[in-house]
Amino acid sequence: MRVTANSFPSALINQLGSLAQRQGRLQEQASTGQRVSTPSDDPTAMRRVLDLQSDAAANTQYKRNAQVHQEMATVTGTTLKSLNKLSSRAGEIATLADGLKSPQELKIYGREVTQMIQQAVQLMNTKQRGKYLFGGTSTDQPPFVMATGPGGEISSVTYQGNASVAESEIGNGELFNTVPPGVNTSGSGPTGMIADSRNGADLFAHLISLQNNLLAGNTSAVSAVDRPQLASDEDNLIQHMGINGALQARLETAVSQRDDSALALEKQVSSEADADLSQTIVRLNATMTAYQAALQGGGRAMNLSLLDYIR
Amino acid sequence: MLGLFGALNMGTRALQTQRQGVEVAGHNLANVNNPVYARQRISISSTSGPDANLGSQGAGADVASIQRLRSQVLDNQIVAEDSVQGSLNAQQKALEYAQADMGQQIDRLASGAEGASAAQGVGGAHSLSSGLSELFSAFQSLSTDPSSVTERQVVVMKAANLATQFSQADDRLARLSASLDDSVKTDVSSANELLSEIARLNDLIRKSELNLPGSANDLRDTRQMKIESLAGLVKVDAAEDASGMSISINGTTMLTGSTVLETLATYQPATGGLLVQTASGTPLALTGGSIEGTITARDGAIASLHKDVNDLASVLITEVNALHQPGFSLSGSTGAKFFTGSNATDIQVNSTIAANPTLIQVAGVAGAAGDNTVAVALGQLSTRTHPALNGQTLNEYYASSIASIGQSLSTLDNQVADQNVVDQMLSQQRDSVSGVSLDEEMTDMVRFQKAFEASARLISTISDMLDIVVNLKR
Repeated sequence: MRVTANSFPSALINQLGSLAQRQGRLQEQASTGQRVSTPSDDPTAMRRVLDLQSDAAANTQYKRNAQVHQEMATVTGTTLKSLNKLSSRAGEIATLADGLKSPQELKIYGREVTQMIQQAVQLMNTKQRGKYLFGGTSTDQPPFVMATGPGGEISSVTYQGNASVAESEIGNGELFNTVPPGVNTSGSGPTGMIADSRNGADLFAHLISLQNNLLAGNTSAVSAVDRPQLASDEDNLIQHMGINGALQARLETAVSQRDDSALALEKQVSSEADADLSQTIVRLNATMTAYQAALQGGGRAMNLSLLDYIR
Repeated sequence: MLGLFGALNMGTRALQTQRQGVEVAGHNLANVNNPVYARQRISISSTSGPDANLGSQGAGADVASIQRLRSQVLDNQIVAEDSVQGSLNAQQKALEYAQADMGQQIDRLASGAEGASAAQGVGGAHSLSSGLSELFSAFQSLSTDPSSVTERQVVVMKAANLATQFSQADDRLARLSASLDDSVKTDVSSANELLSEIARLNDLIRKSELNLPGSANDLRDTRQMKIESLAGLVKVDAAEDASGMSISINGTTMLTGSTVLETLATYQPATGGLLVQTASGTPLALTGGSIEGTITARDGAIASLHKDVNDLASVLITEVNALHQPGFSLSGSTGAKFFTGSNATDIQVNSTIAANPTLIQVAGVAGAAGDNTVAVALGQLSTRTHPALNGQTLNEYYASSIASIGQSLSTLDNQVADQNVVDQMLSQQRDSVSGVSLDEEMTDMVRFQKAFEASARLISTISDMLDIVVNLKR
């Protein structure tokens, strides 16, 4: 082919152009560590990365949800432990209050039970992150309200909450709840924490009954009625403590599972989008060498001219 | 026999011939960097003298013509390829804008497990995709603490952010379509200008070639350049006849000779962007050139991306509202929409809710601040598939739209690269036929210079001979 004055420079420009383009691309890959950054770089990889990233975002959120549940499960567990201590002490008093105790002693026991009821109400009105934990889904008012009799004794404790619970996701479709409602008398749904119509537990009513019987010195009623009633309360609390322990263990697993899958997702994104640095740099070097060679060769060839040789 | 005076004339003609050779070489050298120029050659023919008994005696040389070296086949091919390249380049440019408008990038340093902190303020992935994820995460967070005003504020903020992203994407794509319309208009008026220039050149060429057809070299070069520029804008068929180059587009003759029969005009169809027809109203189905490329990109990939963004927004609005409306707010109110508007153009967070996040209705029953049924359902929207989105989730639908614009652009990038190779090869071939070579011209110049010297020597020899004749008798 005939080579003319302009065919050489324009070919050189084209070659330098494509080398510079390649060099730029490799340089970008080396500096960002990414093979793909815009959709047109690799549309399929882009699509997968976007999907993986939204999975990763959901995963992070599930983990955050699980951590919130952990927090609530811990508070619930602590409350249950304290309630259980109270309930044991109440059982102890019910056992101690036999016919051998004087009415004065029984009254003192009665006063202790009053204190215990107050303490239990306080525990059940625990607030966490500004909301009442044990009122079911009614979280904006204290779940339990006490009424005091003329002699300073507790005459009643009313439940103003409901029996529903708020479940939220700790995984795709995995609805989870760690906080039981305070009271459930509906006969269905989650078991109430201190009172449930299905197992006969009703800690406040039973403590009030014990308090009243002690104050009245009615030791036979204490042993015949209050002791078995308090036993059912203790069973209920122990059952809840068991469930709470199991839930905490499950949340622990869920959180570490989320961490694992975050890592796995990260790896998958990396395999789609990341550049093989060593390969990229080797290619970049090769391209730079070619670029240099083209510049040097072109520069010399362009300076040659017949004009230098004819006079 | 020429005789001495005849020989003197022959010397003069020879001098003229060689001088013209140097002149043409000079003209070629002057145009060495003119891309439309085709090198010229003089063709020299010997002149015959009077017949003699000895046989025909030559009478020196004359310049028969000055020819330009050009291959009609290559010219035609280049005109055709210019249309292809014009179309591809226009599409590529339009889609590059569209891709930039969506602002979807992978930034691995700013995303992933530990990336969130690195992304702060240094341009992370703030795209629709992350906007959607963030809104759903906010709904999820709210579901763990439905009465929290803080979580509610986060939801409102993320939703408002997403709405802004939607309307920005919509606005940018609409503006892109409008500016593509403008570029169709500009291209059409340049094409019309080129048509009238070609007609003018046809006229000039015809006039200057009255005596010698095919001799208006430089005017023809200019006309070829104009035809190639026109082909870059719109695919044309050019055919040469006695009156000059006639140009037709899509079967409609636009000009013959010096008369422009038709011009191009844009018109606004019932729906969509500007299209092109002839000024007299004949519809033109363009098949190449940047006008066609711009229209193809605008009505193809960009229109479908724009539609996808709007579909996505309207599904989001409908679905979120459908779940939100029956819910109850912290104050017990119900029935309010979460998003107002119907698509990406006018999507907005309900201004009442934006002003007072406690009015977000996430409780399934009235009077239970801790009920989160609606919040859970809203959070689960992210994993729900929608028939209106081809059975994909919102995020998947967005990802597939982005992948599809990326795919279109990446295919075009490859096509443009291939086309560049074709164009380079053709222009190299044309260069090898028509390009000026400095070496050749310099050599020619030396050649003609030496011949000029020799011709001058002939004249001085004849002059000496004439002196002798004149001084014969003293």
